Amino acid sequence: MNEEEFVYIGTISRDYVKKEVLKNNLILVVYAVVVSIICLYVYFEDTGFNFDLFLISIFTSVVAPYVAIALISALYFSAFVRNFTYKVQKDSIVINHGVFTKTRATIPYRRIQNINITTGIFDRMFKTFTIKIETAGHSAVSSGTTRRGIGPEGYIPGLKDPHIIENKIKEIIAKISTTPSGLEDKIFKPEQLAFDNFISYILSKMREGEKLKTSIRQLREKAKLSAVMLAEKVGVPIETINYLEEGKYNPSLLLASKIAEILDCKIEDLFELA
Amino acid sequence: MIGEKSVKFKTKIKTRIKEIRNNLCLSQQDLADRIGVSRQTIYFLEKGKYNPSLTISFKIAEVLNRPLNEIFYQEPIIKEELNEIKYKKPYKEVEDFINTQGIDHNILFRIGDIDEEELSKSFSKEFLEELAEFLGYKFDDLFIDADI
Repeated sequence: MNEEEFVYIGTISRDYVKKEVLKNNLILVVYAVVVSIICLYVYFEDTGFNFDLFLISIFTSVVAPYVAIALISALYFSAFVRNFTYKVQKDSIVINHGVFTKTRATIPYRRIQNINITTGIFDRMFKTFTIKIETAGHSAVSSGTTRRGIGPEGYIPGLKDPHIIENKIKEIIAKISTTPSGLEDKIFKPEQLAFDNFISYILSKMREGEKLKTSIRQLREKAKLSAVMLAEKVGVPIETINYLEEGKYNPSLLLASKIAEILDCKIEDLFELA
Repeated sequence: MIGEKSVKFKTKIKTRIKEIRNNLCLSQQDLADRIGVSRQTIYFLEKGKYNPSLTISFKIAEVLNRPLNEIFYQEPIIKEELNEIKYKKPYKEVEDFINTQGIDHNILFRIGDIDEEELSKSFSKEFLEELAEFLGYKFDDLFIDADI
């Protein structure tokens, strides 16, 4: 890959691990409290349920899963952070992520619709931010997190300084989507088009009265051609030639030039604005 | 020549409005205002996507102060197609076509420039049919088969 293509390479903060572990621990605490209350209730109501049995049930249903899940989530998220990198390139942003399945998501700037920066309660405790890059279509494959099946295509959690990357992306998008210089007058704005359509309607109404003077008949007779023969040569119905000779029909330039070619004269000789 | 088969180019109308307009330092809007049409019309005229009516053509000639045949000219449709072939077809396909037909590279790209009399003398109808097909057209779209 070309060296110049790299603009900015970043990783995510380790605070993301702390945040996720804290978040998971809080959920586990709620779970532990609920299960403990049930165990206590059973212990006081059921006389056959002795203190040893109570301790064992508390250990198997509260302490063991708590420790296991907390440990696994801490390991998982530290691995997640280690494996997460993003590159802000010239024409696209590339996100590498995945602990078990490695994914490399490339999002071209052209497809980016908007960039959201979110910071939740836990995020705020550690002063981290999450950037979500939304594109026109959603797909689970390029999504930044494996936990959420369908989400924004670009998902960069645990950022300490999201404004650097946000500004970089915005800068590049602005560069890509601005009109190249010199082409400004070639691109129509919607309001201009509406006005244009209105004007062209009015003008076409005004033009209905315009008449063309024509000398087809004289030139045709000079070339010793009948109207039928001329129509055949041009490849139009005879009525068209008749209308033209009477000056009732405003031909297209193509038709006029065909007739001029056959009669071997200039278009200006054939027609004249009345 | 009577009874002999001859092939002619199908032509389309192209314009030099843009060049003349630029020489006169007129914008599309300026020209549109003077002729009394919308700017869109000028835009499509310059792109060659619009066959103007004769009254508009006369007005354009009047505003640009040039004779009609200097502003509008006919060009074989095939000429533009051959010019654009390098953007439309992979190089290898063109190369293959040249090799199978056994013609020179330069001749192929200049077919649009040669005289109509030369056309039927130099190339067989079968070749022109193959060429039209290669360009993604029918024979009748690019050529006129006329009896003289």
